[in-house]
Amino acid sequence: MAKNNGTETKKKNKKKSKQSGVNKVSMKLNLVPKDNPFKTIWSRRKFDVIGKKRKGEERRIGQARTRAIDKRKKTLLKEYEQSGKASVFVDKRIGEQNGTLGEFDKAILRSQRERQMKIKKTNMYNLSDEEEDDLDINDGLRDDFNDDVEYDSDEETGQDRSSISRLGRKSVDADIAEGEGNRVKSKKEVMEEIIQKSKFFKEQKAREKEENEKLVDQLDKDFELLVQSDALSSLTQPSKMNALKALVNPNFSKDLKNKEVTSVSDVSKQDEPDIYDKLVSEMAFEMRARPSDRTKTPEEIAEEEKERLERLEHSANKQSHVSGDDLGDSFTVDDKPLNKKGWVDEIMEKNVSEDTGDEDSGCSDDSDESEDDEEGTDNEEDDGKGETLKDWEESEDDLGTDLDEEDESDEEEEGEDDKTQEERKDKKNERLVNPDRKEQKKTAMLNVGVAQSSRLKKELPFTIDAPGSMEDLYALFQDRSNEDIIEAIMRIRKCNPIHLAAENRKKMQVFYGLLLQYFATLPNQNPLNFQLLNLLVKPLMEMSTEIPYFSAICARERILRTRTKFTEDIKDPEKSSWPSLKTLLLLRLWSMIYPCSDFRHAVMTPASLLMCEYLTRCPVLSVRDAAIGSFLCSIIYLVTKDNKKYFPEALMFLKTLLVAAIDKDPKGIKDSQMYQHLLEFKAPVPLLRIEENIKDIKPLDFLKIMKLPEDSSFFNSQGFRASVLVSVVETLRGFVNVYGELKAFPEIFLPVSALMVKVADQQNMPGVLQEKLRDVGELITTKVEEYHKLRQPLQMRKQKPVPMKLLNPKFEENFVKGRDYDPDRVRAENKKMKRLLKKERRGAVSELRKDNYFLQEVKMKEKQRLDEERAENYGKARAFLQEQEHNFKSGQLGKGRKRRR
Amino acid sequence: MVQEDVPDAATIDEAAEDDKVAEDLADDIPGIPVTITEQKSQPGAVFVLERASLEVAKVGKTYQILNSEDHANFLMKHKKNPADYRPDIVHQALLMILDSPLNKAGRIRSVYVKTEKGVLFEVKPHVRIPRTYKRFAGIMLQLLQKLSISAAGKRDKLFRVVKNPVTQYLPLNSRKIGFSFSSEKLVDIQKYVDAVKDDSNFVFVVGAMAHGKVDDEIVEDYISISGYPLSAAWCIARICQGLQHKWSVL
Repeated sequence: MAKNNGTETKKKNKKKSKQSGVNKVSMKLNLVPKDNPFKTIWSRRKFDVIGKKRKGEERRIGQARTRAIDKRKKTLLKEYEQSGKASVFVDKRIGEQNGTLGEFDKAILRSQRERQMKIKKTNMYNLSDEEEDDLDINDGLRDDFNDDVEYDSDEETGQDRSSISRLGRKSVDADIAEGEGNRVKSKKEVMEEIIQKSKFFKEQKAREKEENEKLVDQLDKDFELLVQSDALSSLTQPSKMNALKALVNPNFSKDLKNKEVTSVSDVSKQDEPDIYDKLVSEMAFEMRARPSDRTKTPEEIAEEEKERLERLEHSANKQSHVSGDDLGDSFTVDDKPLNKKGWVDEIMEKNVSEDTGDEDSGCSDDSDESEDDEEGTDNEEDDGKGETLKDWEESEDDLGTDLDEEDESDEEEEGEDDKTQEERKDKKNERLVNPDRKEQKKTAMLNVGVAQSSRLKKELPFTIDAPGSMEDLYALFQDRSNEDIIEAIMRIRKCNPIHLAAENRKKMQVFYGLLLQYFATLPNQNPLNFQLLNLLVKPLMEMSTEIPYFSAICARERILRTRTKFTEDIKDPEKSSWPSLKTLLLLRLWSMIYPCSDFRHAVMTPASLLMCEYLTRCPVLSVRDAAIGSFLCSIIYLVTKDNKKYFPEALMFLKTLLVAAIDKDPKGIKDSQMYQHLLEFKAPVPLLRIEENIKDIKPLDFLKIMKLPEDSSFFNSQGFRASVLVSVVETLRGFVNVYGELKAFPEIFLPVSALMVKVADQQNMPGVLQEKLRDVGELITTKVEEYHKLRQPLQMRKQKPVPMKLLNPKFEENFVKGRDYDPDRVRAENKKMKRLLKKERRGAVSELRKDNYFLQEVKMKEKQRLDEERAENYGKARAFLQEQEHNFKSGQLGKGRKRRR
Repeated sequence: MVQEDVPDAATIDEAAEDDKVAEDLADDIPGIPVTITEQKSQPGAVFVLERASLEVAKVGKTYQILNSEDHANFLMKHKKNPADYRPDIVHQALLMILDSPLNKAGRIRSVYVKTEKGVLFEVKPHVRIPRTYKRFAGIMLQLLQKLSISAAGKRDKLFRVVKNPVTQYLPLNSRKIGFSFSSEKLVDIQKYVDAVKDDSNFVFVVGAMAHGKVDDEIVEDYISISGYPLSAAWCIARICQGLQHKWSVL
C-alpha cells in the first residue's frame, strides 16, 4: 500500500502511526525524528480573540530554523563546495532532482518512462499489443486483488515491472478505446437518428390527418342528427331560445351547417313574432334623447332681450295705430288694455328678476323702431324744452366753478324717506350700507311696478337710443318719475348692449358720462330728489363694471378737477373750503363702485387722499364744518374697513373734535400739547363744548345740514353739537374695531381714550353720550391692555456661549483589518505594493544575513577541522620524533629491539 | 499727511480683517489639525471609564464587538456569561459625558476608557459620538483593530489606543475620585465637589461594567453619590451636574 501510492501513503502512514502506532512496517520505514524540545516553541499571541482559530498563527520557530539550515546545507553548502572546482558532476537521472521522492518512486518513474518510450516506438508495427493488453488486464485484476498479499514480496522487481507496465498501458488503452467509441456514435448514430425521427414524424402526421378526417366526418354526422332534432324542438320552444341555440351551435361546425340552422330559426321567427322583437321594433320608432338646451351666452340673452323689447315696441306701435284709427270704437278696445297689463306685469316681473339677477342685457338698434322712438320723444321734448336747457346751463355752471352756489342752492326740506336714508348713511357706520341700499331699491321698484305700471306703459317707449348729449338726456328724463328714469336707463342699456356691437361701447361710454353728470347735478336741484340719487347708484355701478376703464378715467378726471378747485379755494381764508354736497355724494358713490379693499386703486387711492387732504387742510371754523368733517371721516372709515389702511388724518381730525368738546382750560391744553398746533390751526375755540343740558340727542341729518345756510342758528344749538359728538364717537368706535389688529394700537388710541374720558367728565354732558364715550373708552383700554400683555420688553441681545466644535469620527461600516479604505484605488494599490516591497526586501536582507552566518559557520568549522588535523599531524610527528629521540638517548635503537629483547 | 494716514489705517484694518478671514478659513480647511484652545486658567475634568466591556471576537467570518443581545449563543458556546458583555453601557456613558454642557463649555479635558482586556484608549472631548449603538460598535471595532480613529475630513485623531497605565496621562494637580456603590462614604456630589479647591482638576473613575466594582490604585478617594446603585450614565450625569454648578456652566 505504502509502496504503490508513494507520497500520499507516507502521509497516511504518519497519521496512522500517530493514531494507533501499531503498524510495524511503517514504523520501520520512516522513523519520525523525535522533536527537539527547543525547537517546539510556539509563537505567543498578544490578545486572545474569541472565535478566532489558532491554526494560522502558530509557528515553531526552532523547527523553522533547523529547516532553513537544512535547506542551506542542500543548496548553499553545495554551491560553496562547488565554488572552488572546475567541473561539476550533474545527475540527470529521472527523479533525481526531486527531493521529495523516495528511491522506490524514482525507480517507478524511470521504468514508466522506459515503457512509454517502448510503446511509442512500436506503436505502428507492433501487433501483439492488444493481446498483451488483454493479458495484462487479467493480470491487472489479479494483481489488484493480490496487491496486499504480495506486499511483503515487493523485492521482486519482475512483478513490479509488470504491474507498472500494466498501469501505464492500461490507461493509454482505455483512452484509445474511449475515443473510438465516441467517434462511431457521432457519425452513424446521429444520421440514423435523424432519419428515424423524420420517418417517425411523417408517419405521425399522416396518422393525425387521418384521425382528423375521421373525427370531422363523425361530427358532421352527429350534427346533422342534432340539427334535425333541434329543428323539431324549435317548433315548440320560443324562437329566442332557438336563435340563441342556433348561434351557439355552429361554433364548432362548418359554415354550411350554420346557414342551415339559421334558416331554420328564421323560419321559426317568421312563424311567431316574439315579445323581444316587438320591443325592438317599438324602440326603433321611439324618440331619441336629444341634447338639452345649453346655457345661453350673455350675447344670446342680450339678443333675446332685444328681440323681446322690439316685439313689445312693435305691438305697442300697432296698438297706438289701432287706437288712433279706431278712436270712436269703444267696444273693441276693452280687451286690449287687459292684454297690455299682462305685458306690463311681465315687464315688471322681469325687472324684479333683473334686480336680483346680474345679467346685463341689451339689443342692437332697429332703425324703424328708433324712428318711432324719436317721434315719440320729440313730443315730450317740445313740452319742456326751455326749462331743461336752462337747467342744463345752470348745472354746467355749477359743475364748472361754484361750490358755494351749490351749497346755497341746496337748502331745501326733504321727504321723510330721504331723511332716514341719510341717517343710515351718516350714523350707523358699522352696518354695511350697500346691501341696505339695494334692498331698499328693490322694494321701491316693486312698489313702483305695482303702482305706476300704467303710466310707464303709456309714456316710455320700449326701445330707446342712447342719448348723445346732455340735452337728449334731459329731454328724456324731463318730467319723468324716478322709476321711469331708472326704467329708461335700463332700456337704454338693453337696447345698446356692449357685447353685440362695437359702436355700442362708444354710445354707452357717452351715456355713462352723461349719467354721471346727471348724478352730479342732481344735488343742485330744488327740491333735492334724494330717492332718484339712490336709484341712480345701481345702474351707475353696473355700467362702470361694463366699462371699467372709462368709468375710472371719468372718476379720476373729476377728482383732479375737484382737487384743483380745492387748492384754489384754500388760498382764500374767507371762504369755507369744505367739500360740497355734490363732491361728498360723488365720493360716496365711488367708494361704492370701486373696490376699497385694493391696496392701490386708480380711483380709490386718489379719492381717499383727497378726503384726507380736506380733513387736514380745511380749518374747522364752525360746527357745520365739524359735521362735514365727521361725515368725511365716516366715508374714510368705510374705505378702511376693507383695506385696513391707516389714515392718521381722520383719527387726528376726530381727536381734534374731541378736544374741541373740552372746556378750554389751560391745564387741559397743556396736557394735550401735541394737539396744540392742530387746535390753533383748526379749532381755536371749544366748538363742540356742550354748555346746556340737553334732554335728547337727535341723530344727525346730513342733508339737512347741507341745505341750511352757514349762518343758521341751528348750527349753534347744543343739540346739534351733541349729535355731531355722537357721530364722532361712533366713527371712532368703528376705527377702533378696524385698527384693532395694528401693532401700534395702544400708541394710536390711548390718547383718544384719555380724551374721551375727559369729554365724558364734562359738565352738561348728556347721559347717552356720556355712556357712549365711556363705552368706547373702555373698549380701547381693554384692547390696549391686551396688547400690553402680549408685548415683550426690549432685551439686550444675549450673547450665547459658543459651543465647542464637534468632529465626526471617520470609520467604515464593515471594517476589515488590513483592507485599505482609501477611496483613491491607485494610491491604495501603490501603498500596498510598497509595503510588499519593503517586506520582501526585509526578508531578503535577513536571508542574506543568515546565509552569511551559515557560510561563516561552515568556514569556521572547516578551519577548525584543518587546525585540528594539523595539530594532530604535528602531535604525531612530534610524538614520533620524541620517541626516536628517547630511543636514541636510552640506547635502544627502536621498539623492535626492545620487543625483540 | 492726514490724508495719507487715513488709507494706511484702512489698509491696516483690512490686513487685520484678512488675517482673521484667513484664520477662519484655515480652521475649516481639512487636513489642518484643529487646535483646541485650552484655557490653562480653567480647571477641567478627566473621566476614566474602567472595565468597559469592549471585546472583539470573530463571529462567523467577521469581527464584531461582543454584546449580550446579538451574541448570546456565541458567548454561551464559548462558555462566557453573556450578561458581562455590555458595550452599550460605555456608549451611554460616553454620550452622557460628551453631550453634557460641561463638555460643550470645554471643561472636559479628555476621556479614557479601559477595557476589560486591559486596552486603554483615549477619547478626545470634541468627538461627536454616534447616537446609535450600531455605529458606535463600528467605531469601537475599528478602533480596537486599527488602534486609532481620525476625524472625517481632518487628520487629528479622535480616538487613540494608548499605553497603560492611565496615570501618566492625568493632570498633575488633580483630585482622583472613584465611584462605587459599595463605598461607605455616601456624599452629596454637589457639596463634595464644591469643597475641592478651585484650581485643582478632577479625575473621575467610573465603572462601565454590568457587575462588579472598580478597583484601581490611582484613586485617592472612593465615594458613593447615591443611596441606590446608579447606572454609569446616571452617575456621570450627577457628576456633570455637580461640576456645572460648581463652575456655573449653564
